[in-house]
Amino acid sequence: MLTCKEFDAFMVDYLDGGLPAWQKFMCWMHVRMCRECAYFIQQYRQAVALGRDAFDGPDDAVPDSVPEDLIKAAKAHRDNDPKR
Amino acid sequence: MTLASSIEDETDLSDESRVRQTESRNDAESSLIERLREGDDRAYESLIRAHGPMVLSVAGRYLRSEADAADCFQETFLAIFQNIESFERRSSLRQWVRGVAIKQCLMRIRRGQRLRESSIDHMLPVFDERGKRVEAAGPADTMAIGEALDERQRRELVREQINRLPQDYRLVLFLRDIDGYTTREAATILGININAAKTRLHRARSALKVLLEPIMEQTDCNVDL
Repeated sequence: MLTCKEFDAFMVDYLDGGLPAWQKFMCWMHVRMCRECAYFIQQYRQAVALGRDAFDGPDDAVPDSVPEDLIKAAKAHRDNDPKR
Repeated sequence: MTLASSIEDETDLSDESRVRQTESRNDAESSLIERLREGDDRAYESLIRAHGPMVLSVAGRYLRSEADAADCFQETFLAIFQNIESFERRSSLRQWVRGVAIKQCLMRIRRGQRLRESSIDHMLPVFDERGKRVEAAGPADTMAIGEALDERQRRELVREQINRLPQDYRLVLFLRDIDGYTTREAATILGININAAKTRLHRARSALKVLLEPIMEQTDCNVDL
């Protein structure tokens, strides 16, 4: 069986689904046998989900529109581009 | 007509209307790209109005100052205008614009002065001599949450905690977990090898887990896992 340290090294690939079948099985077994790692991976996934949710919700800092002065500045920036 | 066939018809209709919507969106996008390639000023403004909010959001997330975000906004649209000929439509225009915005943010970050940042070593997983996981010490300044958080407050707090991560960790987390690039793509964008990207990502997520523990304890965490 994998040690916790060995399992930890595989965690990104394990969650990405990028491990060969045998290693995936070893990780899966480890999570079922080790309470600490099962708890760790549960919280780890929650942290990832919370992070994603923080920038994906209705209150995300996506403005409805762009301030007019910024649109003017972007147009002026292009007009002043020497390559134009 | 049976209920099942009526539902089926309705599903077909909505599928058909979805296809029509997508086609119409594609037509509008093709027309905008053509006009941009011809140097049409109004097309440039349409592009800014359509994709500007998303670019501002990306710049606001990657960069720490409003002035930098505003400069990056202008540089992004200029870069799009200059490179529209090379856009091969392998992704949607929106995805391409997002990619250009992220690239501009990273260029600005690399040019900028590196801030003094605190280490996350004390938040990384710890193992004993047999390789068994032991509890990490955690941050010295754990946030205290007094009252129940609503969703908006929770999102705000999570964003604050992500912003506490050192730059290298924050960037890989944004690329992989927020912007949806694969770990390999994130590595390429950051100019590092895949193993370094995996290590950074794992450390960033592990530290974030520790930083978010008070929120996870306080809320039911009813987000999609």
